[in-house]
Amino acid sequence: MQERGVEYDRLDERDLALWLQANGLGKEYDLIWCRAISHSQAAYALSIFNGWGIRTVNSCQVVNVCGDKVLTSMALIQHNVPTPRTVVALSVEAALQVIQEMGYPVVLKPAVGSWGRLLSKVNDRETAEAVLNHKATLGGPAHNVFYIQEYVDKPSRDIRTLVVGEEVVYAMYRRSAHWITNTARGGEALPCPLSRKIRELSSAAAQAVGGGILAVDLMETADGRLLVNEVNHTPEFHGAATAVDVDIAGKMADYVLQQM
Amino acid sequence: MRVGVLCSRVRVEEKLIFQALQDRGVDGERIDDDAVTLDLTGGLDGYDVLLIRCLSHSRALYASKLLGDNGLRTVNTYQVIATSGDKLLTSLALAKRGVPTPRTRVAFTPQAALEAIEEMGYPVVLKPLNGSWGRLLAKINDRDAAETILEHKHTLGGYQHSIFYIQEYIEKPGRDIRSFVVGGEVIAAIYRHAPHWITNTARGGEAMACPITPEIVWISRAAAETVGGGVVAIDILEAPDGRLLVSEVNHTPEFRNSIAPTGVDIAARIVDYVLRHGSGQALEVASMEPGR
Repeated sequence: MQERGVEYDRLDERDLALWLQANGLGKEYDLIWCRAISHSQAAYALSIFNGWGIRTVNSCQVVNVCGDKVLTSMALIQHNVPTPRTVVALSVEAALQVIQEMGYPVVLKPAVGSWGRLLSKVNDRETAEAVLNHKATLGGPAHNVFYIQEYVDKPSRDIRTLVVGEEVVYAMYRRSAHWITNTARGGEALPCPLSRKIRELSSAAAQAVGGGILAVDLMETADGRLLVNEVNHTPEFHGAATAVDVDIAGKMADYVLQQM
Repeated sequence: MRVGVLCSRVRVEEKLIFQALQDRGVDGERIDDDAVTLDLTGGLDGYDVLLIRCLSHSRALYASKLLGDNGLRTVNTYQVIATSGDKLLTSLALAKRGVPTPRTRVAFTPQAALEAIEEMGYPVVLKPLNGSWGRLLAKINDRDAAETILEHKHTLGGYQHSIFYIQEYIEKPGRDIRSFVVGGEVIAAIYRHAPHWITNTARGGEAMACPITPEIVWISRAAAETVGGGVVAIDILEAPDGRLLVSEVNHTPEFRNSIAPTGVDIAARIVDYVLRHGSGQALEVASMEPGR
């Protein structure tokens, strides 16, 4: 932002108390770029900023869709973006039954959450029972909706791309011996050629959730298909710096400035 | 004699207990644990003995402590409730006393727990330290399951889920054994048949009569005595090599499903014990050597 001669303030979400009635930030901003770590804080702050009429990156709507795996999957499916078979159940009993029908292994994910937290790979019925009962005990909105997905046997890696507006900026592999490949959990970032297929799918996924600055997680299936797994609304990119030779922050800043 | 029954809901068990008291011409009074308040000098006067039938372990625990320390006889005693209400304390007491029990380890972090599990080998069982009716027991068959269950427990957090209690899984013959020990005497035993590894009758386990063999008598009495006697139910596993292992001791047992298969009037036996206790008579049947 500095290099581009733009005047900006850092707004620390911990200092904010937002009047719903009117802009109480004390300044008229042309745009607010949200980099809040907490999804719920980002979602509510953006809904308030958008409600006041302030443009944001990303929009409140995009953050709401990307922050919720159920809404993301629905958006991908509605836009014909290939994604793993997914089912949502609203009770432990219904979840157990549908898992038995799907066959093992399956993956259970909290509808809301990041960094691969509380993902479960469920290989048998006894694990399904234990995980579902623990989730039911955890309770709360993230755990009383059971998001169940076919397990995709990845080649010890997945692909993360960064989409900024219309452009797919880079792709990288996240290599990991563990089925959870997040770099936050030790996945290693490696360069990945940006093929046409990866480009098209990433773009389609980003547009499906409403577009903006987005990271798209793709998985390679054993039979060579690509599936979109998740779309992230506030991508961390420090892990990518070793794998890609792009001025990521610069690309993002240019896009943000274009939105004003 | 005035007998108080401290309880939450009046379940089938408590109805039977009140009936047995009435049959003996005893004035049994229900004390609702939702409404009761106690101070440090106790606060329940005029009772000779108090039968504790709270649903909540913590209520039973502190009621028995406050009242017992102030001279009211309680069934069970604080010692029995404190030990048998905590799976770790129970396992420790059993092991120290030489009562056979599954191999058990405790860890304080998910990382250490995962290491302990990998060392023990799969499957293992994870159990909350407190809790009944088979709730949140987890059979862990592989590393994927271990990782996610430990993470869920860590997220649940709190006193209950921050201690990781890990036990070898005992391959049961589609059933386990529950025996009822009252005042040192094994009054009844049932098999709990279930296709599921969790055999609690509250979870659909089916109760059938179990012959009270000398081995069952010995291990049940030893387990009961280990936690301090009183009225307890002992959960016993039959290992593939024929050994009997005590898995848990329950201080406020439900018994409605055990009456018909055994033909034993369990409520009457409990009430008779409570009345003996209230009159201060010698309680437990003579002690036995756990080493046999």
